[in-house]
Amino acid sequence: MLVGTLESETGNVKLEPPETTMNMRYGTWILAVILAVPFNAAPAQAADPFNELAKKTNQKMVKVFGAGGFSRLNNFGTGIIISPDGHILTVASQLLDTSELVVHLYDGQRLKAQVLAVEPELDAAIIKIRIEGKKIEEPTGLNLDYFDFAEAAKRPHAETGDWVLALSNTFEIALRDESLSLQRGVVMAYAKLAGRRGVFEFPYTGEVYIVDAITNNPGAAGGALINRKGELLGVIGREIKNSLSDTWMNYAIPVSAKVDIKETVKVKDKDGKEVDEEKTITVTMPDFVAKGMKGEYRTVTRPKTALGEGGYHGIIFVPNILERTPAYIEDVVPGSPAAKAGLRPDDLVSFVDGEPIGSINLFNTWIKKNTRTGQMLRVEVRRGEALQTIELTLGAHTAKPTPPPQPTPQPK
Amino acid sequence: MTRFVFRAFARVRLLLAIAVPASLVAAVAFSSATAAPIDVDKSVIEAQDQRITAIKKVFPAVVAVCMQGGQGVGSGVLISPDGYALTNFHVVQPTGPLMQAGLADGVLYDAVLVGTDKVGDVSLIKLLPKDKANPKPFPFVALGDSDKVRTGDWSLAMGNPFSLAMDFTPTVTYGIISGTNRYQPPEGKGLLEYTDCIQIETSINPGNSGGPLFNMQGELIGINGRGSFEKRGRVNSGVGYAISINQIKNFLGHMRAGIDTDHATLGASIGTANEDAPLTQMVVKQVLDGSDAERRGIQEGDQLLNFAGRVVTSTNQYKNILGIFPKEWRIPVTTRRNNERHETLVRLMGNIATEKETQPKVDAPPPPPKAKLPAPKGGGDSEVAKLYVPKKGYANWYFNELERDKLLGEVKKQGDFTSFTGAWVAEGKYEMGERKGDFRFELTEGKDADPIVNLKLNIEHKLAPLKDTDRRLQAEPIGSGGLMLALYQWHRFLTKGAKGFEGLFAHGGTEPFYPYPVDGKNPKSLADLRTDCAVLKTKHGSTESKWFFSEKDHSLVGFETFTDKEREDPCEVFLSDYKAVDGTKLPHRIEVRFKDKRYAVLSVSKYTLGKK
Repeated sequence: MLVGTLESETGNVKLEPPETTMNMRYGTWILAVILAVPFNAAPAQAADPFNELAKKTNQKMVKVFGAGGFSRLNNFGTGIIISPDGHILTVASQLLDTSELVVHLYDGQRLKAQVLAVEPELDAAIIKIRIEGKKIEEPTGLNLDYFDFAEAAKRPHAETGDWVLALSNTFEIALRDESLSLQRGVVMAYAKLAGRRGVFEFPYTGEVYIVDAITNNPGAAGGALINRKGELLGVIGREIKNSLSDTWMNYAIPVSAKVDIKETVKVKDKDGKEVDEEKTITVTMPDFVAKGMKGEYRTVTRPKTALGEGGYHGIIFVPNILERTPAYIEDVVPGSPAAKAGLRPDDLVSFVDGEPIGSINLFNTWIKKNTRTGQMLRVEVRRGEALQTIELTLGAHTAKPTPPPQPTPQPK
Repeated sequence: MTRFVFRAFARVRLLLAIAVPASLVAAVAFSSATAAPIDVDKSVIEAQDQRITAIKKVFPAVVAVCMQGGQGVGSGVLISPDGYALTNFHVVQPTGPLMQAGLADGVLYDAVLVGTDKVGDVSLIKLLPKDKANPKPFPFVALGDSDKVRTGDWSLAMGNPFSLAMDFTPTVTYGIISGTNRYQPPEGKGLLEYTDCIQIETSINPGNSGGPLFNMQGELIGINGRGSFEKRGRVNSGVGYAISINQIKNFLGHMRAGIDTDHATLGASIGTANEDAPLTQMVVKQVLDGSDAERRGIQEGDQLLNFAGRVVTSTNQYKNILGIFPKEWRIPVTTRRNNERHETLVRLMGNIATEKETQPKVDAPPPPPKAKLPAPKGGGDSEVAKLYVPKKGYANWYFNELERDKLLGEVKKQGDFTSFTGAWVAEGKYEMGERKGDFRFELTEGKDADPIVNLKLNIEHKLAPLKDTDRRLQAEPIGSGGLMLALYQWHRFLTKGAKGFEGLFAHGGTEPFYPYPVDGKNPKSLADLRTDCAVLKTKHGSTESKWFFSEKDHSLVGFETFTDKEREDPCEVFLSDYKAVDGTKLPHRIEVRFKDKRYAVLSVSKYTLGKK
């Protein structure tokens, strides 16, 4: 198993009698009440044979394997084939931060893939299968079953109450020629989503399909949400928590996703003076896919994006009391990347990836700006009289413990 | 207990509070519905009818497995009118061998553990009827064929999640099959490995463990047992797993016979030739010294093409196929070396090493209730306690004796040999490749009442089985694997029964047996030869034997006698052409095989059975 290190996190656990059950039961009941209406209003062919649909859709999808496998980050995901030549739509996760990206086709073929385009605003990425010995621009010679994305994006979005099916490699159950997992549900809402990914803000702010099936488990991101005709509705998103209710969301980013990004840019007015001007950039999934497949997509850059936390190093500096406190290490967190790499108390951090570091503040800013989880960092420290070069691989910040869910108040 | 009741009560109150507005909504909907009847699609009504019919059919057979005293620990399902029910091993782990089981009729029955498959996480229990003198048949369900289950099929899961129903009425959930032939690795020391299992989105929750998964015809297709959970806590995460009923069928004979069963390994490790290759090729990585796989000629580097009739395409797939068989079963395996295909029957080895025989420490066993329970009903001398006899290697020796004696009773109907304790003679023709001639077999008693075997196949052979303990002597005639010893064991089995086997005389569950075509030709596929048999295992002195009784008519279709079970193949004896002899029936065609080769065929023309 590739998730060996995640055993405690993702391991299977047997069903045991519960400690508490109230919240869940309450939730289920509310759901039942909501669902009762569309069920009656729109009679559904409940006896649909989904077998063929599942089989056909499975042939239009891949299992994706890439970077990860440590600290709550999965190294597995799902992708949707959008061209016979092997273009694949998936989510813009850390999975893609590798030169060793691999996909498994429905028939068990294991092939390499390469990232063509990424758009964090849509949380989407396009990758392409690359045949050994061929260039990425060259045709792969594959003739795969695929979803016509442009056609899919033209259709009106599914309505609340519509039946949907989800196919994904949830929990990495499938490898090679094993089929993806099928789930079925109902669209509960088509609405904007306020979510957080663990403790971080979620980049996508457009509309999503919220579904009543538990679709967004580890590895499911990049899976397909389809209707009962087998038409593509959306891409199953990464695991995110609703920041309001602290519950995990089950959602998909629709094929017609659209995001308006407002940003202020400095422009020169007629007098040649610099002034702020508000500008709206619209990013759409169909545009991203069309250009991305041709390799012509330019990722929208947002100069004012809030800084992330950067990768996790585990260095504890001396108290930062001055504007320019020298970056002396006071301690390292046991088991952290810094500890593993051999950084020690009293080391003075002098250069990071060749950049001179004059203070703790500079170090922190540099880390936030330039690094992320899984990245290799070259740190030069002054130890005694000598400069030493130490390489460390940044980890992920551990999620801060979330408060236990509050008991739901009883409705009156 | 008080704490539990209180919490259960709190739940009920909460439910009522929610139910009020819900019923109001329903009332409003109804009033408008009567004004203009909703035009419901016919297929919706049909699907609903099918659902209701299926649920009605199986509902009474769903079991709530409880500790003694009635505290719920899981679920189960009745599969026979005499009260046998399937559940998870991890459900009966906390109850011990004696438990109670509630049915949908609200009655709590005493129950006892019959057999266990720890690796497969399945246990068989037996419910005791309330009126022992005049037992009412239990409701039960039919076993389906899980190989026919397909991704996208609808399914019904039933059981007692959260130990919710105080009156044991099962909860029904409805959903689709998310995947088939799934592999989920073991939990804790090689136990609770889910191979070839069914993945469902049908909601299963704590307490559903051991409960049934049905297809829409109401046939049992699996036993629900685990799920994939991560951050969302141990409740339904949309990914549950059921042990396929076809796997359970392979172990059912063993479990009925009270055996603590074990799964198997091939005796060779199998892996992908190159993990990075575009397409997988499964090859033999290593062959265990002294394993049956080694004796069958399987070598490192051989490509594994087919295992038990299924094509092997990935590691998961291989584990899936291997995982559904009990140890010691013989399974057809096809390998390829230098473009040559080779099919052979491999005797599977045990999986649980001896050190694993201690109670498993699983990740999260259902915790026994912490609250104080009323004193368990029925101490050591209750009715149900009499049905439990502990013995090493067995879940419940009581049921082994029961099944064994039942089988022997059937066998005895074909002939009682207990009075023929004198000398036995069998005469006729033998065929041994190109050689042919007369044969004569005689079993007599020597001077000091020790048995002596004489076998004439042109050349005369002689063996005193109790004195000639040298393994080379026991294996004579050379090339037979110990035919004289085997015939001696057979005579002893027929005339003495249990009394003749001081070492072991036990039911061995069920196993496939592969009698070769009478014409001596190589069969197209070894799988075609398969005859399902009930097995008895015996040990006399240092000699172990296995006896195969056809499940169709209980006739003894063959046996295997091991001169050296750890290191050498057995002498295989195939019996057919049964004819009447002195009020009994005996085979008139005896085929002897050793090491994948036919040693001889004996055609008996005359038996002389001596009495004392």
